[in-house]
Parts: sequence; C-alpha cells; structure tokens
Amino acid sequence: MESGDKVWEVFVQKKPGLAFKHVGNCHGYDKKMAIQNARDLYTRRGEGRALWVVPAEAIVAVPLDDSDAFFDPADDKVYRHATFYTIPDGVKHL
Amino acid sequence: MNFELNENQSKFLIRIADTSVILGQRLAELCSRGPFLEEDIALSNISLDLFGRAEELYKIICSLEGNKFSPDDLVYRRNERQYFNLKIVEQPNEDFAWTIARQFFHDCYAKAVFETLKNSDNSELAGLSMKVLKEIKYSHMHAKDWMERLGLGTEESNQRLQFAVDHLLKYVEEIFDFDELDKMFLPNYKEIESNWQSEINQTLTACNLNRKEIPPLSMRDYRDGFHSEHMGHLLSIMQYLPRAYPDAKW
Repeated sequence: MESGDKVWEVFVQKKPGLAFKHVGNCHGYDKKMAIQNARDLYTRRGEGRALWVVPAEAIVAVPLDDSDAFFDPADDKVYRHATFYTIPDGVKHL
Repeated sequence: MNFELNENQSKFLIRIADTSVILGQRLAELCSRGPFLEEDIALSNISLDLFGRAEELYKIICSLEGNKFSPDDLVYRRNERQYFNLKIVEQPNEDFAWTIARQFFHDCYAKAVFETLKNSDNSELAGLSMKVLKEIKYSHMHAKDWMERLGLGTEESNQRLQFAVDHLLKYVEEIFDFDELDKMFLPNYKEIESNWQSEINQTLTACNLNRKEIPPLSMRDYRDGFHSEHMGHLLSIMQYLPRAYPDAKW
C-alpha cells in the first residue's frame, strides 16, 4: 500500500470471557478498513468471535536500548516467585 | 452428457448457482493479483464463499434431478450456451473499480434473492439461504465501503469507478426482465427491482457518481444461455484441467 495507510495491531478473542490475544498486524487507511482487513487475515478459519485493532503508533514500547535497564534487574531475584511455601493439601485451584 | 433440467425449481436455481460460480471465478482470477495483500485475501475469501454457495445450490439441483449428474459435471462439462448466469458477473476485471462495482451490483441483487429464498418450502434451500445471507452481508459491506472510498477518493479513483459503473449498467436491464420462472420463485419481484434501483441510486449519489442514461445492449437473454464475448474465454480457463484430464482427481 502507499502513503496514507497505517499499520494496526490485531487482537483476537477466541470466545466471550477470554482475554484478547495479539495475533499480528495489518494495514488500513481507516478504522473500518483496518477491522475488515483484520477479519479477513486473522479470523477466516474460525479463530475468534471478537476483534480489536489498535493503531500501532498508539502502542508505547520500551526502547530496545533500554531493555537491559528495564529487565535485567529482575534476573537474580528468584525470591519474587511465590514458590517458597508449601501449598495446603485442600487447595485445588492455584 | 445430457444436462436438460426437468424441475422448475432446478431451472430457476441454476441461474443463481451459475451466477455465483462465474463471479467466484472472476474473483479467483485476482488471487495473488490483488491491489495489496489484505485486499487480495479479502477477494479470495469472497470468491470461496461464492464457490461454496454454488456447490450447495448445484447439490440441491442434482438431487432434484435424480442425480443424473454431479456438481462437478455441471461446472466442468457444460458449454457456454448451457450456462445461465447474469452477464454482468462474467465481465472482466478491467481494474479494481470494475471488480468493486460488479460486486456491489451483484450483492445488492443476491441479498434480495436469498432474503426471499429463505422462506422457501425446500428446507435445504431455506437453511442454505440463512447461511448465505451472512456471507452476502459482509461482502456487500466490503463492496459498499470501497464504492465510497473510490467514489469520494481522488479524481482518478472517481473517474475509474464512474467508467466501470457506466459500462456495467448496460448489463442490468436483463436482471429485471423477469420471466414466469423467476416470478414463481421470487413472488416479490417488483419489490426486488425497486429496492435494487433505489439502493444503487442512493449509493451512487452518496459516492459522487452519476447514473447516466445508459442505453441497454441489444443482447439476448441470459435465461436462454446467451452471453457476452468474455464467457468462452472464462470457461476455457476454468474448465481446462478436467477437460484435458478427464480422469484427474483432486
């Protein structure tokens, strides 16, 4: 496509109640075209019952250069995992 | 192979089925040649819907006719004059505007036809119509949105769409030249025509397009198996494989 088009990120919900999952992106000049293109690209085999498209430019991402500063500090803090206690016998859904 | 039909319902349905399969073939020609990736897939999806619709209609026809032939026989072994599709759907993909205008004209008509057929006494046909209406609703929306984008887009897109509309309107008159068979299965035929005309007029106006006085072509009726010059070429491509290799399985 040529100038004027935008990239949209596509999220599909498999069935009501489940979280929307990111599945990829598509092009579109406007919201309506974006949602139709997303439908044609990502739900043609019955993958979902609901769709979101979000302008890719609206997504705020951690700059690649900063990823060490953002994420490395978590690497050696295993104590943040809630695995240091025993689960009582009666608990089933944890 | 003898393709003569005996039942009125199958004689009527073959017009709808042939119209679907021929339009499906026209759209299939655009597979990998769409204006951009997303639209390529959208047109191929619509093409597949049309093939699926045609196949189900052919199955109903075959069973009405005592299974003397199969849907594949009907599609691959009939000659030009044995096809009964609207001439408008065999018109070529001159450019994207033609593809969209042709689709929009067809979908407005097909929507009305299946709205009526969903009340058919034939439960298979009624059930199929319910399913088909959902497909048409989407395809119709897709075509209408493009009518607006092209009509209200640039000077060039407007001119191209106007050119396509002017040409395709020549093939509209025969659609509404209903015969007894049409009237038997589409008792609301007058309403079908007036709704079609008003929807087309409204859309053209909203898209900054003119509906010119187009003299209809003096071509003979599609109901008698008459076609424009494009049909033979379309069939020669569509039927090549099963005609060259009659025993091929796929």
